[in-house]
Amino acid sequence: MTDVEGSPGTSMHGVTGREPAFASFVDSPMVPTDTTAKFALPVDSEHKAKVFKLFSFGKPHMRTFHLSWISFFTCFVSTFAAAPLVPIIRDNLNLTKADIGNAGVASVSGSIFSRLVMGAVCDMLGPRYGCAFLIMLTAPTVFCMSFISDASGYIAVRFMIGFSLATFVSCQYWMSTMFNSKIIGLANGTAAGWGNMGGGATQLLMPIVYDIIRRAGATPFTAWRIAFFIPGWLHVIMGILVLTLGQDLPDGNLGALQKKGSVAKDKFSKVMWYAVTNYRTWIFVLLYGYSMGVELSTDNVVAEYFYDRFDLKLHTAGIIAATFGMANLVARPFGGYASDKAALYFGMRGRLWVLWILQTMGGAFCVWLGRATTLPIAILSMILFSIGAQAACGATFGIIPFISRRSLGIISGLTGAGGNFGSGLTQLIFFSTTRFTTDQGLSWMGVMIMVCTLPVTLVHFPQWGSMFFPPSKDVVKSTEEHYYAAEWNEDEKKKGLHQGSLKFAENSRTERGKRIVSAPTPPGSTPAPV
Amino acid sequence: MAVSSARGLLLASLLLSCLIHDCYGKILFSSLQSTLQVTTSTKQGVLKAGEDKVTVTWRVNQSLPSGTDSEYKTVTVKLCYSPVSQKDRAWRKTVDLLEKDKTCQFKIAARPYDKTVQTAEWIVEREVPTSTYFVRAYAFNADGQEVAFGQSTNDQKTTNLFDIQAISGRHASLDIASVCFSAFAVVSLFGFFYLEKRKGRSSQQK
Repeated sequence: MTDVEGSPGTSMHGVTGREPAFASFVDSPMVPTDTTAKFALPVDSEHKAKVFKLFSFGKPHMRTFHLSWISFFTCFVSTFAAAPLVPIIRDNLNLTKADIGNAGVASVSGSIFSRLVMGAVCDMLGPRYGCAFLIMLTAPTVFCMSFISDASGYIAVRFMIGFSLATFVSCQYWMSTMFNSKIIGLANGTAAGWGNMGGGATQLLMPIVYDIIRRAGATPFTAWRIAFFIPGWLHVIMGILVLTLGQDLPDGNLGALQKKGSVAKDKFSKVMWYAVTNYRTWIFVLLYGYSMGVELSTDNVVAEYFYDRFDLKLHTAGIIAATFGMANLVARPFGGYASDKAALYFGMRGRLWVLWILQTMGGAFCVWLGRATTLPIAILSMILFSIGAQAACGATFGIIPFISRRSLGIISGLTGAGGNFGSGLTQLIFFSTTRFTTDQGLSWMGVMIMVCTLPVTLVHFPQWGSMFFPPSKDVVKSTEEHYYAAEWNEDEKKKGLHQGSLKFAENSRTERGKRIVSAPTPPGSTPAPV
Repeated sequence: MAVSSARGLLLASLLLSCLIHDCYGKILFSSLQSTLQVTTSTKQGVLKAGEDKVTVTWRVNQSLPSGTDSEYKTVTVKLCYSPVSQKDRAWRKTVDLLEKDKTCQFKIAARPYDKTVQTAEWIVEREVPTSTYFVRAYAFNADGQEVAFGQSTNDQKTTNLFDIQAISGRHASLDIASVCFSAFAVVSLFGFFYLEKRKGRSSQQK
């Protein structure tokens, strides 16, 4: 990707403000196409795809996309596979409410750590082996479900299966090796959203599988154990497909990655420092815990909730619960789209407002879900809650790329971990004790969502403003360059290490919304010849 | 005039039918009389699901005036959770409204009502969970509504309880299949890894 100063188009970049953050293709003048490369899709100089063609399986780019999202989907299926079968499992293993709640907490806690480790694993082995290792080594844990005979075994196995959610990291990492950074937003957002759908699909799949096995003659307490072989086999199948069909890079496999190691990499300690000292990082860690986090918690409790409260059959409760997770198909991309649209007119302030509105409304509908006493109202409020929460997830990642240029990777990772932490916390407080019935737990969780979304009002960008305050009037501080260059010290600036950030700053002027046409030239930068 | 009186009639009949429906659906346990005498006999110790049996006998209390049982048409005998097994498990909660009550979830027998002593032998089904239980019999009238009951324990549900141990649900064949598939996953992963590493090394040496 060669963005040479002065090359056609660079000085005009961002002036029109029409470049979307979730572009599905990259224009050739901006990123030159490598015409010597022979791939199914047009590629840039690194052979990363410039186009995102959803229904193609072309090697290697779109094939990577499909392998990636389906692996992540499979891990969601196995992590939440127990949830719709809890009414049977709780009788077999003699579980109390606390046991069920603790197992739910365990299922999302494991991946807090595995996601942090996964980044390093992908660096060492490449994303293909990172994904394959994780999915194949967690397959035995899924098969272990057939052994358990008490509460502690149940909690332990769900904890271990939960490690597989780190495929999120390998999925996003792998996509970033295959897709140009200008379309990586859409590519990653779609892969993540479709992977999350697994949490919904499993609520549909597992009761159906259980039913079939029962009709074949098994008793309930054996049938649910056999049902777990399905997610287990999915792990093995996807692992084999990833190993045989996947490749780490557009041009080949692991060997080339080692050549890449000669490129100077940023110092981890510095990157970490700029991530943790930026207060916005922590606000978004909290916020994501109450959009993604509550989505995961609800995946764990909603099937049992409908089964018990409305006396439904197991597969009916499963169908209803599935619609919650499956809404991810459109809800999460919708959140990103709404964020982009708001940014067109109002810039970053629009993005912040969209996030606050979506997430708060999700919380309000969650309160309504807890208070619903009839089935139709419960289903309606659940669907609205799912749209609010999942769109908020999409909107969150519409803002995260702008918090920091240097530490984007770590901030994304911390945010993701925050999601799992929020899930564990809400399940622990509201769904593991007899203090709240499940309907009360849902209502209080909705209240907590609305309260914990308020900190987004505190997020202020000097160059763009915040929800209630306009951007800084200071001529120097109100530039994007000042904000992003502040992550580098003088030594690093002298070495020119901050050039990438400056380029990003220039491109990020779109976040001023309609004001960008009148954006003043920042002091100190010479205007590039057109 | 005619329209408004017709509407009034419609409203009144709707209201009336609602009330009647309410009467039909909303039977409370506390409104039932305990007229049946139910006794259970089980072997000593913990019963095993799928193997051991529970013998239940029931009859209307002979000391009550005759005619008490004139309405009884059918009797259903159920296995019910004792309070200790309901603790921390809201899905087994005792609720006064019978259609929402989750205390008795397993049917032992259902028979037409008979004045003589009735006995039922029931092998504990394999889906019964590990818990402490008692037995309750409900008498139904011709409309299928509960009108009386009897149980093998006292009002506080503390006496004459028996324990059932559920099947584990595990099978040796399942365990073996689990181990086989797990081993396959691990072996194929590392096999692939070493094969590719060896191929990489040999192509580098060439």
